[in-house]
Amino acid sequence: MGRSPDKLGVPMGGLLAVALALPLASYRANRIAPAEPRGLFEALPLSWALAVVGLALAAVAVALAARRPALRLAVSALMLLALLMAIGEAGRTLSAGGAQYARVAPGVGFWLAAFALAILVTDAIVRLRPGPLGRLAALAAALAALGLILVSGQWDGLSVLAEYRGRAAAFWREGGHHLQLAFGSLAVAVAAGVPLGIAIHRARRFKAPVLNGLSLLQTIPSIALFGILIVPLGWVAANVPGAAALGVQGIGMAPAFVALFIYSLLPMVANTAAGLAAVPAGVTEAAAGMGLTRRQQLASVELPLALPVILTGIRIVLVQNIGLATIAALIGGGGFGTFVFQGLGQTATDLILLGALPTVALAFVAAVVLDATVDLLPGARR
Amino acid sequence: MIRIEGLTKEYAGKAVVRDVTMAIESGTVTVIVGTSGSGKSTFLRMVNRLVEPTAGTVEIDGVDTRRMKAHELRRRIGYAIQDHGLFPHWTVARNIATVPRLLGWPRARIAARVRELLELLQLDPDEIAPRYPHQLSGGQQQRVGVARALAARPDMLLMDEPFGALDPVIRAKAQDDLKAIQERLGSTILLVTHDMSEAIKLGDRIAVMSEGRVEQFAPPADILTRPASAVVESLVGEEDRPFRYLSLLPIAPLVEPGTAEGPPIGTGHSLRDALAEMIWSGRQALPVVDDEGAACGRVTRGALLSAGRPPR
Repeated sequence: MGRSPDKLGVPMGGLLAVALALPLASYRANRIAPAEPRGLFEALPLSWALAVVGLALAAVAVALAARRPALRLAVSALMLLALLMAIGEAGRTLSAGGAQYARVAPGVGFWLAAFALAILVTDAIVRLRPGPLGRLAALAAALAALGLILVSGQWDGLSVLAEYRGRAAAFWREGGHHLQLAFGSLAVAVAAGVPLGIAIHRARRFKAPVLNGLSLLQTIPSIALFGILIVPLGWVAANVPGAAALGVQGIGMAPAFVALFIYSLLPMVANTAAGLAAVPAGVTEAAAGMGLTRRQQLASVELPLALPVILTGIRIVLVQNIGLATIAALIGGGGFGTFVFQGLGQTATDLILLGALPTVALAFVAAVVLDATVDLLPGARR
Repeated sequence: MIRIEGLTKEYAGKAVVRDVTMAIESGTVTVIVGTSGSGKSTFLRMVNRLVEPTAGTVEIDGVDTRRMKAHELRRRIGYAIQDHGLFPHWTVARNIATVPRLLGWPRARIAARVRELLELLQLDPDEIAPRYPHQLSGGQQQRVGVARALAARPDMLLMDEPFGALDPVIRAKAQDDLKAIQERLGSTILLVTHDMSEAIKLGDRIAVMSEGRVEQFAPPADILTRPASAVVESLVGEEDRPFRYLSLLPIAPLVEPGTAEGPPIGTGHSLRDALAEMIWSGRQALPVVDDEGAACGRVTRGALLSAGRPPR
């Protein structure tokens, strides 16, 4: 037809085609045995393998040639779902004949295909230009699909879930710690950062020193910061009455919490000040001229107009904290990082994934939800 | 009645407004005109204490403004500015209701007042009230800004270059509308502009400011015919002066018995309008009609031209 193929479709369709030829899964006789690759036709029953190949070819064709975003979305989402089902099927098939200690994990072919399809799906969603509610609905649909797959037991043959079954209670407990660390430090950072942002917006000469100081804190490597905090927090625990009873100590959650809070301050303070500075001069002039008190000017005019920028700061902080909270496990702070570091210690990739995958998912969900919230604000025009 | 006594503002020892004294009658329009940097905006902003004076007093109806809380003073004074300053996250209705809400008016009274003001400013309340400012044209935004300033029936209205952001055609209409509203409501207005034509068109009295001082405070005709200083004279503009002067004079006193050819002109027009009509239609005289349309005589080119040369 003389029409050039889709710009994103060429690399992603190509990647998907290549991924078909690479091992879908990896098989190990036991948890720490060396991994053996298993191709598509080795890992899956013939009917499944043929179905996957057929669908994948259709997805490549659509990625290359189709223009309508709805069609691109439907086909790549369907293929992604099929891939997720297939890897579960591979787990079941490969471990069926073997010993009970056999481990089946997704292989490089699976990861490449999943990556290409995820890019194609998100690209199709972007081309559809959904409103904030549409994006939330897409997120809810994706989470529902994931939940159904987990509940149905389709993935029970996979090694990540084998690791989960061994430590289900710990998984949820550490998940709770992770959320406490990420959201708790965010809450404190908002409570401290927004007033500080307002203060430096009003007293301009403090703006540069405060922001520079916070930037400096931001540059301290996280592990170093944990180490630095051990001494003062240990001192507080030993010398301030009641502090130890509240859980303050040199290692554990307290230093992790404080470190996350410190990293959160710069985005909160800088975005609050930037949001307030972006309020048009005529608007603040009119608010004062109409007879609003300073407090009323702030509460009913300046903060509402700065809110989208402040929420963007909250989004940055939350995504950053969800990721950083992983490191808290190093100093006994708990969280999903516990599994990551255990896995690293035992060279058990599946255990690392058990910690890493929920962290990535949490950060992604937080980003989508907060982006949608920013767009849903009444002042969201333009 | 607003009395301003020795009003002065200094920034770091440098005077921006120097010792300004003037009395403003209630129900009149006073225009402060001057080039940028003349201190006219700072002067205006000292009246509602957005800028606190270094020295001097402002009294409104005998009450020293320093004896009120600044925000309470401002709620009694309407304020309209060049880029309208409408709150972008509020609807037009909510914007207009700003001061009545601050004053705690009951809901129904606020709603009625918003409607009344939109109608006064020739905006359809049902269509405009629920809109957001960015959905309006520049002229509509300016009118909503004026409606917001008038909302709580203020003692006086301060306007800082209120028409500065409008294109010339809309600006002329907005000036006419403001004049009509002012005459109808009897508002006291203090307006700042850099445009002498605007000052002559709107002002009952004009204060010409330069380098922080009031050079002259007088009715428009006096500013034109008896400029107090070279600065005032340069602002008036020599080549435009006769036409500006004619625009201040009504036709009525020059009407003489007699008839003339062609379409008539109403007594409500200025001599400038009459001259323009004579030049464009090539006539020596125009028939004049009164407000009811009854013929009352004529005005001649000769009478008009000699009236345009003021006594000095």
